[in-house]
Amino acid sequence: MKESLEKLREQAGKEIDAAINKEEFLAIRTRYLGRKGFLTELLRRLKDVSPEERPVVGSLSNEIKKSLSEKIDRALEQIGTEKRYEALKKERLDVTLPGRHVKYGKLHPVTRVLNEICEIFAELGFSTVEGPEVELEYYNFEALNIPEDHPARDEQDTFYITDNIVLRTHTSPVQVRVMEKQKPPVRILSPGKVYRPDSDVSHTPMFHQVEGLLVDKKITFGDLKGTLTFFLRRFFGKDTELRFRPSFFPFTEPSAEVDIKCVMCGGSGCRVCGHSGWIEILGSGMVDPRVFEEVGYDSEEITGFAFGLGVERIAMLKYGISDIRLFFENDRRFLEQF
Amino acid sequence: MLISIKWLNDYVDIEITPEELADKLTMAGFEVEAINRTSPGFSGVVVAKILSVKPHPNADKLSLCEISTGDQTFPVVCGAKNIKPGDIVPLAKVGATIPGGYTIKLSKLRGEPSEGMLCSEEELGIGDDNTGIMMLPEDLKLGEDLSIALDLEETVLDVAVTPNRPDCLSMIGMAREIGAITGKKIRYPEVVFSETEEDIEKITSVKILDPDLCPRYTARIIKNVEIKSSPAWMRMRLESIGLRAINNIVDVTNFVMMEYGQPLHAFDYRFLEEGRIVVRGTGEGEEFVSLDEKTRTLKASTLMVCDGVKPVAVAGIMGGLNSEVKDDTQTVLIESAYFNPSSIHKSSRYLGMNTDAAFRFERGIDPEGVTLALNRAAQLMSDLSGGSVCKGFIDQFPGKIETVKDVLLRPDNASKILGVNIDSAKIETIFDSLEMSFKKNADGTYTITPPAFRMDISEEADLVEEIARLYGYDNIPASFPVLYPDPDAKNKKGSMENGIRSVLNGCGYSEVINYTFTTPESVDILGIDKKNDYRKFIKIRNPLTEDTSVLRTNLLYGLLETMKRNINAGNHNLKIFEMGKVFIATEDGKLPVEKATIGGLVTGLRYENSWHFGGLQSDFYDLKGCLETLFDAMRIDNIKFASGVDLPFLHPGKSCTVTAADKCVGFLGEIHPEVLDKMDMKNGAILFELDLEILSGMFSGEISSRNISKFPSTSRDVAFVVDMETQSETILNLALDEEKELLEDIYIFDVYTGSGIPEGMKSLAVKFIYRSHDKTLMDDEVNEVHDRIVEKIAKGTGATIRGRDTSGGEK
Repeated sequence: MKESLEKLREQAGKEIDAAINKEEFLAIRTRYLGRKGFLTELLRRLKDVSPEERPVVGSLSNEIKKSLSEKIDRALEQIGTEKRYEALKKERLDVTLPGRHVKYGKLHPVTRVLNEICEIFAELGFSTVEGPEVELEYYNFEALNIPEDHPARDEQDTFYITDNIVLRTHTSPVQVRVMEKQKPPVRILSPGKVYRPDSDVSHTPMFHQVEGLLVDKKITFGDLKGTLTFFLRRFFGKDTELRFRPSFFPFTEPSAEVDIKCVMCGGSGCRVCGHSGWIEILGSGMVDPRVFEEVGYDSEEITGFAFGLGVERIAMLKYGISDIRLFFENDRRFLEQF
Repeated sequence: MLISIKWLNDYVDIEITPEELADKLTMAGFEVEAINRTSPGFSGVVVAKILSVKPHPNADKLSLCEISTGDQTFPVVCGAKNIKPGDIVPLAKVGATIPGGYTIKLSKLRGEPSEGMLCSEEELGIGDDNTGIMMLPEDLKLGEDLSIALDLEETVLDVAVTPNRPDCLSMIGMAREIGAITGKKIRYPEVVFSETEEDIEKITSVKILDPDLCPRYTARIIKNVEIKSSPAWMRMRLESIGLRAINNIVDVTNFVMMEYGQPLHAFDYRFLEEGRIVVRGTGEGEEFVSLDEKTRTLKASTLMVCDGVKPVAVAGIMGGLNSEVKDDTQTVLIESAYFNPSSIHKSSRYLGMNTDAAFRFERGIDPEGVTLALNRAAQLMSDLSGGSVCKGFIDQFPGKIETVKDVLLRPDNASKILGVNIDSAKIETIFDSLEMSFKKNADGTYTITPPAFRMDISEEADLVEEIARLYGYDNIPASFPVLYPDPDAKNKKGSMENGIRSVLNGCGYSEVINYTFTTPESVDILGIDKKNDYRKFIKIRNPLTEDTSVLRTNLLYGLLETMKRNINAGNHNLKIFEMGKVFIATEDGKLPVEKATIGGLVTGLRYENSWHFGGLQSDFYDLKGCLETLFDAMRIDNIKFASGVDLPFLHPGKSCTVTAADKCVGFLGEIHPEVLDKMDMKNGAILFELDLEILSGMFSGEISSRNISKFPSTSRDVAFVVDMETQSETILNLALDEEKELLEDIYIFDVYTGSGIPEGMKSLAVKFIYRSHDKTLMDDEVNEVHDRIVEKIAKGTGATIRGRDTSGGEK
């Protein structure tokens, strides 16, 4: 009996090895393991086996049944996988064809730079404040210690609406408006459009400025240097070399112009920096006590610094733009680059 | 301002290189914008003496000369007539180069050898005189290189002088600064000259009729002058800083202006009727011919310098042609005056005459420099022209000139502002170097008396700045302020505007920034009627052009212009938006309303270069979808798009108003073909404009959540056939009104017209989704609700039902 079983296992094994398709495997399964299969047939003769041998033969036949069945299953599974594989092999995409993407819109470069500046100062807790673009002469000039016959107030440097209403020439009036309403400390940034009657490769009659103001007790010129150094290194890179040099603005004293080493030539002198090796980036200074007095702050108690910069100018440096007018022509080929 | 280092050396010793000087000046507040080296445009030219001049045997117009360079003698053929033996002249030797790229060669002229060339000023590029060979001073050393002999090499700095420092608009002013920076003493010119017995009072007089505009007028008379060209040193000085040498009298006025910063004028006395000066305002519309031979039409009360009868100069700006110094002038009246800065400023601006004199007067000159410069000019004119200076000078000083005042400096306040302690010895050194006299008070403070020319010093902050400037900004250590975090800080990045930008970028729209200025014609092109706010323009009084003479009242015109520019540049597909202010005028003399607004425009293909959707044009629903995405992202619901917008620039059938919570916030629609015609454009466009201020009031970053159902949903589809005019929203609203509990969602998934649908009708396929929060809905329960809703819709819209599918299972 045992031999018959072993023989059956061997025979079935050979047939399984020889089988090549699903149908043959299923036939083998029926032939050997089916209700009328060889194994079932063989086991009918179990009653002829001696009672002692019976459990051994029983367990052997079970084992044979299990192993054949598993062998057939495995073979069938493999046939399935191969078949799917064959089928998938025929389904192919040209993955280099473009997807159905929405062409992403771009931020205007001025916005991009403005945001970057505002973010850096936001880290220092500066709030962003906006103000009117059509402004009273008082806020644009008088309150900032710019006297009546100052050249900046000429019609050739300022757009006038009426005798006492102008298009703001800088965003500094916002600072005055804020200080009128708010007691110190003040920590604000005022970005926005400003207007001056100029039009050429490096001037447009409208451009953008960001101005900042920090007012508190004990704010020093050293703080001005430290804060603006932080800002410029954050913006242009941590190794940016800069210099503070004396200058003049009616509403700050002492005043400082801040230059960075030319980003184009690294200081050796080129067209961009006018062969000086330095590029003027921002104007700054300690708020003139007269401005504090104008808004009712005690200039003995309070000090502060203010600074301002032209956004287009910075964007031109950062992105290598040579003509400022491109910003407002809004040619798609220009806008798409940012 | 251009400053010549050689010239500066007359007043202060400069022992550093021009580069070092430029750096020091820049770091002391005088930005040096350029360092220019001017070397003469020739080489190989030497000082030579004419030994003999003989006629050329074969040419009438040429002569044969023997020229000595001290140790050698050269034969030279020359065509000039102004030479004679003994003259000292420039000789360009064989091998020399002269301007224009010429190299002198050994040659023969009409058979006679010529070893070099005698040169005129013009040929050497150092003057305008081309009438003959340049005559050199007799004391020059023969054979010496001409550029060394005449000291022609110059280094000139272009310095930006800030408006608060008019005292530095002169060589002496800059020399003083350089002295203060480098620790050198200043040498002022020694002004010594002799006067004749003839008293100026007997020759002329000065009368000032407007002492406010001309507080002080001084004058001197010089007789018997001989007008000729100035000596080389004078011409070189002037030319080094870009001034043209004219004659020995005019050159002195320019030289002294550059030396002291005091503008001067020289009149030919014989043209002064009644021999006197009257300073007065002029009448409106008077005409006057200035030195540059231009006729100027004057405005009323322009300050003029006149003689007894007529104007002879625009005060402080430019002299008149009628009294200018001529070749035969014998008697000169020198004017040195103080004119009111703002009066000069106004006149020079309206006349468009930004002369060197006006520039200095309008910034304010040194009140004490008026007579100094007058005397210096008298000295030089007398020296250079052989003229004799009459006794005394006229000094009419009826007006008031603001003078410097004492200012208190508290050193501890300076430290407080600068953030560094500067000891009193250093402070005193700084004040000394700036010629500021000071008194130390018992409490450690200083009372400072600035020199007369430092009109800019009027408060303590001015002194603090001077200390900082000369102490060196570089020497003040950078520090960082104590900044307490502010819970109320508002930052730009987190703002709603940037949120909107991101959403629109994601929808494929790029940001543009258009000029705020526009043309008043824009509203005519848009067909805006008379009463509309769009016509309430803010007008600029002094616009650059008529096309930019008003402020925009809307964004859409700018967007259309941008579209036009792009299409002309070949960019036919455009998706753009702009965020900015529009300006609506209110009352005259009041500030306008400034409204934050957002607008957008789409034209051309929906998808560019797409193999999926090639050729699909953008339409109304593209832009509407973009707005829907935006409102979704902003969490603003209650948005309605309703037809019947009454705007002349929009297609009447393809446009709508946009309302948010029943407030109209703007419009959306296709541009009216008439506007396109007027703007000469063919491609259509869809655009929107929304009031950002109203929207921002509705925008809230706050989020609240609700539970989601655990049970499955069931859906039903129905196709309703309705009249073409029926708005789909009606159907959705009827359903949503009818069933609030189980109808979870409803939307239109197909719109169909054509075969099978009667003319003038459309079929709307609607999907209904039902779900309960409490249980799995049975078919019967769903059917009951669904039938009720469908009936309601049919009744409400007159719809017939084209088909329905009730097999919708779990979703």
